[in-house]
Amino acid sequence: MKCFSSKLQLHFMGQAINGHGGAMRILVIEDEQKVSALIKRGLTSERYAVDVAADGIEGWELAEAYPYDLMILDLMIPRLTGAELLQRVRRKNTFLPVLVLTARDSIDDKVKLFEVGADDYLTKPFAFAELLMRVKALLRRGPVNRSSTLRVGELELDRLTQQVRRAGKRIELTAKEYALLEYFMQNEERVLSRNMIIEHVWDQSFDGITNIVDVYVRHLRSKVDDGNLFKMIRTIRGTGYTIRSGNET
Amino acid sequence: MKRNSLRTRVTTFYVGMLAVALLVFSVAVYFGIRAFLNRSLERTLSNSAQTIVSDYLVPLGQKGEPWLVAEMTESYPPGYSDPFVRVSQGSRILYQSGDMRDPFVSMSKVPLPSNPKWFNTFHRETVSSGQRVVIYTLTYRTPTGSLVFVETAATIESTRHVLQSLLLVLLLTTPTILVVAAVGGYLLMSRPLRPVVVLTEQAERVGRKEMGERLPVIRTGDELERLSLALNRMIERLEAALAHNHRFSADASHELRTPLTIIRGELEALIQMPTLPPHVIEGIGSALEESARMAKIVHSLMTISRLDGGDEQLELVPVDLVDIVRVTLDHMGLLAEEKHISVRTVYRPPVYVTGDPMRLKQVVVNLVDNAIKYTPNGGEIRVLVAVEKKAACIEISDTGIGIPADSLKLVFDRFYRTDQARSRESGGTGLGLSIVKAICDVHSGVASVESIEGNGTTVRIEFPLLALTLAQADQIQTAAQLGVPPSDEVRFSDGANEVSTRY
Repeated sequence: MKCFSSKLQLHFMGQAINGHGGAMRILVIEDEQKVSALIKRGLTSERYAVDVAADGIEGWELAEAYPYDLMILDLMIPRLTGAELLQRVRRKNTFLPVLVLTARDSIDDKVKLFEVGADDYLTKPFAFAELLMRVKALLRRGPVNRSSTLRVGELELDRLTQQVRRAGKRIELTAKEYALLEYFMQNEERVLSRNMIIEHVWDQSFDGITNIVDVYVRHLRSKVDDGNLFKMIRTIRGTGYTIRSGNET
Repeated sequence: MKRNSLRTRVTTFYVGMLAVALLVFSVAVYFGIRAFLNRSLERTLSNSAQTIVSDYLVPLGQKGEPWLVAEMTESYPPGYSDPFVRVSQGSRILYQSGDMRDPFVSMSKVPLPSNPKWFNTFHRETVSSGQRVVIYTLTYRTPTGSLVFVETAATIESTRHVLQSLLLVLLLTTPTILVVAAVGGYLLMSRPLRPVVVLTEQAERVGRKEMGERLPVIRTGDELERLSLALNRMIERLEAALAHNHRFSADASHELRTPLTIIRGELEALIQMPTLPPHVIEGIGSALEESARMAKIVHSLMTISRLDGGDEQLELVPVDLVDIVRVTLDHMGLLAEEKHISVRTVYRPPVYVTGDPMRLKQVVVNLVDNAIKYTPNGGEIRVLVAVEKKAACIEISDTGIGIPADSLKLVFDRFYRTDQARSRESGGTGLGLSIVKAICDVHSGVASVESIEGNGTTVRIEFPLLALTLAQADQIQTAAQLGVPPSDEVRFSDGANEVSTRY
């Protein structure tokens, strides 16, 4: 296993591996030290190698020096704005996936971001689960799981017939419950925040509603888990929901 | 004519001034002419008396009384004389010219001069027929020492006639002049005031949608030009203040995002630690929920300030409100079902407007969510989408707790809650209706609310209607603009119908 830098101390087994055979390496450019520390801590525990730059120039120098697999870029950074840095990076490296962190959430800002070459964006404040999901999606760079059947433990969802079975027993779902379950099953074992669920299953115009996700998940859960000993759909207090196969227990 | 218009007031003022001036003038003319007429009448009378004395009385001693009578009869024929003359000595009349004709005045009844006050001066007498006469009494002492009175008299009837005519002329001309002046002045005032009218109309328009507009500067070099310039400077200051306000709320919500990110991240990391005691998990979970609520508030504030500040880039396209409402209700059905609230929908399609589909949807989402939130279990919500009075109209009524009458005006205000405890319990941001209003404003719509406390609330939104031909209407695919991927739309179409039939 090739080591890129003496800075990197992440070489345990099961580490995220990049195409060069090394750890997946992520550059975080964020001037808020606490935010970058949070991201670094979280990503490190997910077995990524993380470098942090606190301003645009430092970020540019690091991006020049190392072949990163992903860049997480805050737009409001000193010395060189995020947009300027992004343009510089794009001139040299068109393939580096860039996830932009922004404190704005207007559509025209977002359009501009994609124009200068961002691959995805995340609005602050975000749940770490959401950041992780987008990071993984960008690193995967392949098509999402589009196979016709999704399986989580004894739960099976057939996308062609739109039928759902648990341990062979058919479960009748409404359209929304089906969409919700499909989203859960695509992200097995991952925590999905209410925001992520709303944006995926509904759309942003519903994010003003306090309890829509909770109500729909409760109904879905009663259909999926009632009468079963193992409860697959779990609430993660304060964060969101996740689906578990129960195979490990 | 508006009662309070400047034009009316100015016209009234100067017509008033003119009236006073004309009155003073008329009074002066009237009394001046009366005095002049009286004086000339008196001069005539006194001159005649003097002439009689010098022509007939002085030679009387030599020529005798018959001569006097003959001479005077010739000069002052009885019945025709004007003035009337009478010469008397004591109680004996030497000559008198008889009654006046035209008008007839019976002078023979006028008493002989008895009052010494009358001597060598004028006095007025009302004769039996009601006529007033002026009498001049001149005394002449003959060389023999006896006192002779020469009276000359004339009626003041002609003077009165002249004065009456004058009065009539004055009474007729003064109001005529005033009316002409008022009308003329009122019309004349419209010219200098026209810029003011234009200015007013423009000023009404400023700020209704955007501040950007300026008033037309009136290049007259006078007070009006200064007024228009001053107004423009005031608009500039207002605009700056408003921009500052918007920037502040945008900046504030923006600045809150980073600390919120940190709080949330730290708490998320903490709650994942193994072997936490349940009350710690409970505490961190609660803190996480609140930070999510705070994030929602920040997001909503930002949305409102962007909409209010005109920074929001709206994607304005023709849409059918019925589609928007139908799709939105489909996506929220379970919320109503949970509380056993029946949702009755009345659609009178098509109801086309020009708008941003996502924002319009947000309006419906917020209103329906409110209706469900404040309606007790087993209640009813009625949703109407129709064209009413040439406006595109969405009306959402519930059988909920209602809003107290004194709060109705305030429900669209930011952070206003009708029932503090209640809505906090349900975890709202207090900004839902403010967002509705902000979205309505940028769509030139009007949001209104009616409510009977304990009985229910009706929120009504009206947008300008978009008139479309059938061919144009066919091309509108509102559902596709709602951010629902077309493939999903097809795939779930059966399911969606299944949901909607539950209402």
